[in-house]
Amino acid sequence: MRKKTTLLMTLLIILSMLIAACGPAATPTPTPVPPTPTPAPQPTEAPTEAAPAEAPAEEATPTEEPAEEAAPAGEVVKATPGQAVKMILMPKFLGILVFDQANQGAQEAHAELGNPEPLQFLGPTPENSVAGQIEILTNAVTQGIQAIMISNNAGDQIAPAAKAAREAGMTVVTWDSPIPSAEGEQVFVAQVDFDETGKVMADMARNILGEDGGKFAVLSASPDAANQNAWIAALQRVLEQPEYANLELVDIVYGNDQSEDSYNQALALVDKYPDLELIMAPTTVGIAAAAKAMQDEGLCDTVKVSGLGLPAEMLEFTLNGCAPQFALWSFKDLGYLTYYVTYLLATGALQGVEGETFEAGRMGVYTIEKDPTREAGLRVLMGPFTIYDASNVEEAAK
Amino acid sequence: MRHRAAFLQRWEGLLVVLLAVTVVYNALNAPGYMTLGNWINLFQLSIEKIIVALIMTFIIINAEIDLSVASVMGLSACTAGFLYANGTPMEWAVVAALLVGVAAGLFNSFWIGVVGLPSLVVTLSGLIGYRGLAYVLLEDRSIGGFPQWFNRLGQQPLLGPFPLALIIFFVLLVFAIIILQYSGFGRYVYVIGNNREVARYSGVHVRRTKMILFVTSSTIAALAGILYAARLGAVRGDMAMGFELDIITMVLLGGVSIFGGSGSMWGVLLSVLIILNLRNGMGLANLSGHVQTGVIGVLLILSVLVPNVAGTIQAALKRYRAQRMETGSA
Repeated sequence: MRKKTTLLMTLLIILSMLIAACGPAATPTPTPVPPTPTPAPQPTEAPTEAAPAEAPAEEATPTEEPAEEAAPAGEVVKATPGQAVKMILMPKFLGILVFDQANQGAQEAHAELGNPEPLQFLGPTPENSVAGQIEILTNAVTQGIQAIMISNNAGDQIAPAAKAAREAGMTVVTWDSPIPSAEGEQVFVAQVDFDETGKVMADMARNILGEDGGKFAVLSASPDAANQNAWIAALQRVLEQPEYANLELVDIVYGNDQSEDSYNQALALVDKYPDLELIMAPTTVGIAAAAKAMQDEGLCDTVKVSGLGLPAEMLEFTLNGCAPQFALWSFKDLGYLTYYVTYLLATGALQGVEGETFEAGRMGVYTIEKDPTREAGLRVLMGPFTIYDASNVEEAAK
Repeated sequence: MRHRAAFLQRWEGLLVVLLAVTVVYNALNAPGYMTLGNWINLFQLSIEKIIVALIMTFIIINAEIDLSVASVMGLSACTAGFLYANGTPMEWAVVAALLVGVAAGLFNSFWIGVVGLPSLVVTLSGLIGYRGLAYVLLEDRSIGGFPQWFNRLGQQPLLGPFPLALIIFFVLLVFAIIILQYSGFGRYVYVIGNNREVARYSGVHVRRTKMILFVTSSTIAALAGILYAARLGAVRGDMAMGFELDIITMVLLGGVSIFGGSGSMWGVLLSVLIILNLRNGMGLANLSGHVQTGVIGVLLILSVLVPNVAGTIQAALKRYRAQRMETGSA
């Protein structure tokens, strides 16, 4: 009797664990299914101001044969559609709107190029970002993934895993945030010029604070986010110029791209500096949290918020004056461009050397150049910024 | 007592079945799973946690807890990085980092063993304090560029295909099994965990045993921190943040009672293998991190629930049978 019940119990437990373990992977097909591809590109949304000026006037003669070899210098490399490349797009972590938008853009390019293999959007959980990114990258080698696009949140700690992936023949491209030492990375797709980010932030600060200037503080993401640090450094360089002399940067604090942390940091700034007039947050999480904090405390008249934000998240704060001006680039375009660069590298059309020029679908022609913001490494620069204020934020938030 | 031993065997039996199911499922569904390279990766990706899980098993069986291990890992790694960045040769930086671990262990065990404070409180302060020190050392910086030999120890195979950390884990595992299951010290650990007062009156050195455990715990955590630094080739203040919960999860899933006194190294070994294989399989199957965390969470809940529910049902059955016998004879 007792034996029977325990046997029954054991069976039940195993069954339930089986369900728990296998439930989510309900499709035990050898090749995993892509996560909800969005093949329909929405042309209404695509900002076309992204085409850089250096696009050559004479359209490169279309080459019929697949670009198996590297194109001669000066020629614009074009992608040959339909080639099979297993790819992963990896955000810093899951659950952030801009990364989902980047995925939309990458999926758009994926559908456009007719890559028969799936494009996976895989990321770690926020509390496990560093170890999780390394784990996904390492597993990708085992899975035989041919190319990975990383928005790096692990600093140089991801470099050994990236090098191992390169040695295994994988194409490794970073976007949004590079590997600081550039080790293990082929090309970094930069959203905007880091120096330009500094200039844009300084200009917005001057616009908001007016001619007489004033004190402001920076609310950043994590102290290790290479992009954030480069932008802040660029901002500090711009501030040294005489025309920005009456802007005083009093502090830099970190909200770790968590809403609650950022919210509290913004409030702490106001307490610490009673005469603070502006919080500049070069992170979409930080700027929204800071604007919310100022709004909740009824401080919007004295302390303004600016930085890099998403129109959809900032609409309310821009219209009520808490965040009169902010800037951003299109993450969708960034994902789209990153996909093109990676596809071209993985199919051998691009070699990943300085000076190569290529066409990225609807976005036009780009060039691989030395990354001036790091000691080593190559980059493709997307650019430019859009400044949002009460006049255009509603349109963009749709 | 025999009742409990029989139950333990059943729990471990359950773990064996669970492990077998996981391995077979992965082998059938995750391409690339059944390769030596993947098996080494699977250990390497969590190697620092499972090294610390070995000593955590001793501590929880002893009815204590060490929440400070992950912070000690971070502090030791940051100490090594800080000293190296300031011109100390890496060899000495590593020695100093280990000594930091010993010091943290002595500090913890002073308050727990000598003063008699609960380990939960002491090591919770450690969790916050040692992490704070790590941040004080490195501030917002990330330090890398370690010597080649150091990075190679963490990233390259040392013996055949096996990297150093994996070898260290297996050596420590053998020691841990021998000491916990087959030595007098191991018996003390169980006895104290079962009933501290009884242990004291039976002449067991309760205080000394606890102090040895906590110093060893921090020292091994420091070693794990150094291995982590070598594997990643760079250190920063938030290294190993939150690892303590993963480590404790492994131990509890292994059938070690959170109230102390029961559990075995074999169970923990099985649970480690299950968690690593499960994570690896889910990763290869492209399940998101949220799903992975959820599945491990469900497992942990079951590991706490099942013994309790089974015990309750058994007791109820016994009562029922006894009652029936009574009414039958009446």
